[in-house]
Amino acid sequence: MTRPASVLAGPKSRPPIHSQGDKTIEYAEKLLSVFILVPFAGSLIAIFFPSDQRGAISWFAGAIALVCFLVTAGLYPYVASGGVLHYRIDWVPELGLNFTLRMDGFAWLFSALITAIGVLVALYARYYMAEEDPVPRFFALFLAFMGSMLGVVLSGNLILLAVFWELTSIVSFLLIGYWHHNAHARDGARMALTITGTGGLAMFVGLIIIGKIVGSYELDAVLASGDAIRNHPLYGTVLVLVLLGALTKSAQFPFHFWLPHAMAAPTPVSAYLHSATMVKAGVFLLVRFWPVMAGTEAWFWIVGLAGLTTLLLGAYFAIFQQDLKGLLAYSTISHLGLITVLLSLGSPLAAVAAVFHIVNHATFKASLFMAAGIIDHESGTRDIRRLGGLFHFMPITATLAMVASAAMAGVPLLNGFLSKEMFFAEAIETHLVNPLDTVTPYVATIAGMFAVTYSLRFIHGVFFGRPPADLPRKPHEPPRWMRAPLDFLVLACLVVGIIPAQTIGPFLHTAVLSVLREGTPDYSLSVWHGWNIPLIMSFVALSGGIGLYFLMRSYLATAVEGPPVFRLLQGQRIFERVLVTLSWKWARWLEQRLGTRRLQPQMRLLVFLALAAGASPLLLGNFELPPLVIRGIDPAFALLWAIGIACAIGSAYQAKFHRLASLVLLGGAGLVTCITFVWLSAPDLAVTQLLVEIVTTVLILLGLRWLPKRIEEPVAAEDISIRVRLRRLRDLLLAIGAGGGMMLIAYTVMTRPLPETIASYFLERAYREGGGTNVVNVILVDFRGFDTLGEIAVLCIVALTVFALLLRFRPQSDSLEAPEQQKVQNAFDDDHPDRAAGDSVAEYLFIPAVIMRWMFPVTGMLAAFLFLRGHDLPGGGFAAGIAMSIGFILQYMSGGTRWVEERLRIHPLRWMSIGLLVATATGVGSWFFGYPFLTSHAQYASLPVVGKFPLASAILFDLGVFSLVLGATVLILIALAHQSVRAPRAHAKAARSDKEAVR
Amino acid sequence: MTDWLDHLLILPILLPLAVAAVLIPINERDRTLKGAIGFASTLVVFILSMILMRLAAAGTGSLPGSGVYQLGNWPAPFGIVLVLDRLSALMLCLTSGLALAAQAYSMARWHTAGHHFHSLFQLLVAGLNGAFLTGDLFNLFVFFEMMLAASYGLLLHGSGPLRVKAGLHYIAVNLAASALFLIGVSLIYGAAGTLNMADLATKLAALEPRSRTLVEMGSAILGVAFLVKAGMWPLSFWLPTAYAAATPPVAGVFAVLTKVGIYVIIRLHLLVFGTAAGASSGFGQEWLVTGGMLTIAFGGIGVLASQAMGRLAGYSVLVSSGTLLAAVGLGHDGMLAGALFYLVSSTLTIGAFFLLIELVERGRDAGADVLAVTMEAYGDFDEDEEEEEVGAAIPGTMAVLGLCFCLCALLLAGLPPLSGFIAKFALISGLFDMPAAELATAMSAADWTYVTLLILSGLAAMIAMNRIGIRTFWASIEGTIPRVVVIEITPVVVLLGACIFLSLQAGPAMRYMQATADDLLAPLTHSERVLSAPRAGSQ
Repeated sequence: MTRPASVLAGPKSRPPIHSQGDKTIEYAEKLLSVFILVPFAGSLIAIFFPSDQRGAISWFAGAIALVCFLVTAGLYPYVASGGVLHYRIDWVPELGLNFTLRMDGFAWLFSALITAIGVLVALYARYYMAEEDPVPRFFALFLAFMGSMLGVVLSGNLILLAVFWELTSIVSFLLIGYWHHNAHARDGARMALTITGTGGLAMFVGLIIIGKIVGSYELDAVLASGDAIRNHPLYGTVLVLVLLGALTKSAQFPFHFWLPHAMAAPTPVSAYLHSATMVKAGVFLLVRFWPVMAGTEAWFWIVGLAGLTTLLLGAYFAIFQQDLKGLLAYSTISHLGLITVLLSLGSPLAAVAAVFHIVNHATFKASLFMAAGIIDHESGTRDIRRLGGLFHFMPITATLAMVASAAMAGVPLLNGFLSKEMFFAEAIETHLVNPLDTVTPYVATIAGMFAVTYSLRFIHGVFFGRPPADLPRKPHEPPRWMRAPLDFLVLACLVVGIIPAQTIGPFLHTAVLSVLREGTPDYSLSVWHGWNIPLIMSFVALSGGIGLYFLMRSYLATAVEGPPVFRLLQGQRIFERVLVTLSWKWARWLEQRLGTRRLQPQMRLLVFLALAAGASPLLLGNFELPPLVIRGIDPAFALLWAIGIACAIGSAYQAKFHRLASLVLLGGAGLVTCITFVWLSAPDLAVTQLLVEIVTTVLILLGLRWLPKRIEEPVAAEDISIRVRLRRLRDLLLAIGAGGGMMLIAYTVMTRPLPETIASYFLERAYREGGGTNVVNVILVDFRGFDTLGEIAVLCIVALTVFALLLRFRPQSDSLEAPEQQKVQNAFDDDHPDRAAGDSVAEYLFIPAVIMRWMFPVTGMLAAFLFLRGHDLPGGGFAAGIAMSIGFILQYMSGGTRWVEERLRIHPLRWMSIGLLVATATGVGSWFFGYPFLTSHAQYASLPVVGKFPLASAILFDLGVFSLVLGATVLILIALAHQSVRAPRAHAKAARSDKEAVR
Repeated sequence: MTDWLDHLLILPILLPLAVAAVLIPINERDRTLKGAIGFASTLVVFILSMILMRLAAAGTGSLPGSGVYQLGNWPAPFGIVLVLDRLSALMLCLTSGLALAAQAYSMARWHTAGHHFHSLFQLLVAGLNGAFLTGDLFNLFVFFEMMLAASYGLLLHGSGPLRVKAGLHYIAVNLAASALFLIGVSLIYGAAGTLNMADLATKLAALEPRSRTLVEMGSAILGVAFLVKAGMWPLSFWLPTAYAAATPPVAGVFAVLTKVGIYVIIRLHLLVFGTAAGASSGFGQEWLVTGGMLTIAFGGIGVLASQAMGRLAGYSVLVSSGTLLAAVGLGHDGMLAGALFYLVSSTLTIGAFFLLIELVERGRDAGADVLAVTMEAYGDFDEDEEEEEVGAAIPGTMAVLGLCFCLCALLLAGLPPLSGFIAKFALISGLFDMPAAELATAMSAADWTYVTLLILSGLAAMIAMNRIGIRTFWASIEGTIPRVVVIEITPVVVLLGACIFLSLQAGPAMRYMQATADDLLAPLTHSERVLSAPRAGSQ
């Protein structure tokens, strides 16, 4: 195990910047945990609020957001001028995953944004959500989202960042799907999760690789290793993976299409997630990694191309939206594109502009979403075509919305103007000499123009023009406190727009300083920069945008939703189709091709793979088969085996056509095996094999009766298609291969010199320590008695299973009728008036039946004999149990089920239970003598007539074996036998119900 | 002389066995009594396993009898030994924990679906525990048979044509695999002359080439048998059908059954074909990697293609198996701990999911799934549908079930912050565990494919669970609300709670896994411990 040591010990150094004592910094660092703990704890509490307490719960949520905001505000002195706070708990330190929270200026700015807008949204939602809405779920998710988002910005560990990153995706999925009874909400939620979640997974891998390159997942270490990352051969891979995460989250082209569909969420959710938080996570990540990843050609191209396309397309599409929220969504996409373009340039000034625009966009977009929500709430629709002239009904809201829209359009004296001017200034700079850099200023101006157009459309279309005719509700101003968040945000837009240096200036500087560090450029946040190219670009955009709006006005007033031509190319539609095709149609097709539910191919594959697996070491290694030497063949033994082989092949051949014949032939093969054991001096095996052979054959014979009849369809030989022939040939070859392989293996193992095995140990000690001269039996009950215990348990299970299954078994109707032979016999009775029906059946096998009955005590004796001699000579509990069960089988065969059960008490379940318990208890007995389970003790005892016999503790164990084997065999017998008792009853019941039906 | 404490080691096998024997003759009408006895027994086994894990975690020195139990007081390699180490203790805990949940669940209604449920259940637990504890290849076969035989009975529990058909396929495939197992064991015994795993590990390197090839052949055939059990493609087609057909508590406990195959492969692969195996070292790795990755792919495709949750869960089992097989096969030592963490997490998740499925589907129309998917594929919702902008409350039962479903989805897809995510992180992190300068060169194509498959399979789970979850909990809220009893939902909550606990305590858990992995990577130390354990009464 080699592991870079630095993974384990992340750097804990921090620049000692502050004059405050260490104590206060320590407290401040502990306070960081508030950002995670409080929202999630609040979320848990919120679930349990009663659903009719809309006011209380929104105050609660707002208070939680406020607490977080106040803590943020209080922490500002510690991060101002480059300070960094850390709070760290070990999570999985072995893997370098720690719960590290880290707040620098940039994270602070974001925290402030998240918590402040959180407070406003909580207040807004109080009025927005309907009385009947299940608000506890809403606020619980809202708080959980706030916690996740704070987690993203405060993560000081890459993996922790990935954790919170995916959490925002998951919680936003639940928020978008809040009104889940609407199909749009469900689809929008799913699309958002699928796209952002996929990006997140890709990013996760990218972050792991970054961590491995750096040698630590701690953000401090990563931020200090820019060169190592940029120069690493895997930089390209990492870049693509991380950008997949960032670009999907920030809805950048070509992943932008999920955002408009996420508008199915309640408006407070949109105002929060799609202006200030969720979608900003992507650009947050770009800024976070800007110092270590930006500045390369690859970064410039990928990020720049995505950003420029998004900027332009988003703005263009926004013009054609008829839904207010749709317009805002596309405008958000476009503004995010703007930020992305700024970040792609790789210049520090552009990065400053990006951070500034992040803040500005959050303020004006959140207020616009709230305004859209108010319009929707008070008028009942968000369709611009239906709205108009609302200024008369809600002048204050209209004014506020106008200011915010102007900020969005980049009108001077508002915050949007400042960052847009910085963008224009950067756009005309040459950063790299390539076509992308050349087109940037033009694209920027056109996009700016579009922004003016759609902002104007938002204002003019909604608040001016013809008063609305058929609104669902009569519009009026919203409640005072519903508008308050809007007041606040618009005020912020104005103040920042007019006196930026005195308001946002220091905070922005802190944020920028923490990202760019010593590379922080000089910049000025003044409103007036003199007459320069950016101002001219702004002027062009402003006038062009106004002109464009008035040109398109009449078209837009009646047009269908979405831009011409592009409208046909719906991202959502494509996504759904692709998803369904990939994840459903193709998957099903593949599943059916790659898998099967039929048994035969599975067995074929199993045999084939076993053959291949067995052969592979042979083919790979240089293995020579031992020479095939044939000598000293005994003709009788050869004949015996010829018979055995013929039986086996015949059995396989007949298995499909004639089950009975096949079974008989199988018995023949078994018998040959049995004789072989005798021949090769393995009497134990022979005895056991013989008894088992008898019992299983009889039991299968009994079961055969209930199998469904084979459908006879003789197919003429010439009708068999070539495919079938080929398949059969393949199966034949496979069978020959497997059989031949087994033969070779057996031959090789048997002809090679015996290795040093454990067998000699057993031979040596069987009598001395095991107390028996029959080594096989000593192995079974002593050396490996534990195996025997297991095997009898298996037998017990099989018996129980057969019993339980057959209890529920009802035979097929075609196997209910009497067997052919019985029919003939009954017909014979019917033909002869002197005979009662059933006489022939009763008389049949009369003499053998009497003999069988008399055999019962004899088999009992045989079993006892086998049992007692077991330890020294062939026999033992297993053989005895089987022998005894043959006695029972004979009784059932001769007398029938009812006859036997009237005369004998048969409790096979008890016998099995006792057998298993006795065997186990014998083993446990040795504990009392201080030995492990199943340690045996042996001595001889003598009985008057019998003489000396071995009395090892193993004999008790063997008694358990006997009892269980007997019980299990008899249980299976009974289960099968009772079918014939039950079957006529079922038959009678069926007949009865038929009769009732006739009546 | 042995200490009484020494016998702790064998109790997880003997107790369920004896309890099963006691339960057999009790009348089926007293099911509750049977269930209570069985539950108590499993609970004791669970506590025992926890104690054993505590002891194992403290180091093998603190284990009773240094963790080796010689049955019949015969030393290895002659007699059978049970060997307890961190890995087997972990598996014991996992098994009994899952069994406990499934058993409690069954007592609400499912144990009435047939006879001898609780006896078979105890025997299954005994078989599983035996398979994890034994250090002897043939004894492993015995316990495999015990576990399989019980699983046949449990799969058929409840009868019905679907179950019987799936059950008979299951039985046929597994019987064939058992035959292969036997062939493999005989071959290894014939060539190496020992059945003890630890002994085999020490002997392999010294065997003459021909015998070693024979051992390799035996192991390969043995491997096929285990891979059937583990569900490697293309030996796994029986699995989704069988698991989907099983009654929920049975399917729940079956989640650990495939892991037996994985466990044995981890155990034998690292012990016998570890660093000490000489020329045979790393034998069969390519098979595991290729097969494992194909299994992930097939499982992922199956997850996507599943209409019913039962099959989805069945395919998730395959994804989990494939992930583990390939992780073992890739042979990066750093991945082993992550793989073990993944094993625990995914087993608990799938177990909980199987239990949950039936509760969720209880109130639903069987045809609903098919219809919903068809609608999704051909023509979406009605475009002009009036949107209702007032929320609908989710009834309490559905809310709890939905929350459990969400947790299952997160765990299956490996999304943060739960243990499924940490497991994947540990796996990928272990894969990349090399000096930064070598990152680009030392990674093979197989490594990159593995990472890709790991992520894609998570994605497939996310999409499929998302689809099914939306359909069940969001799209059809007006459907009948299932009647769920506390005793049914509690096991689900407990299993998911275990996953959450595992996520929170990921640090200590990973330390345990790392120690386990270090044990496994030092096969000779293990062998030495097993072979040198003293016999009782020898002093």
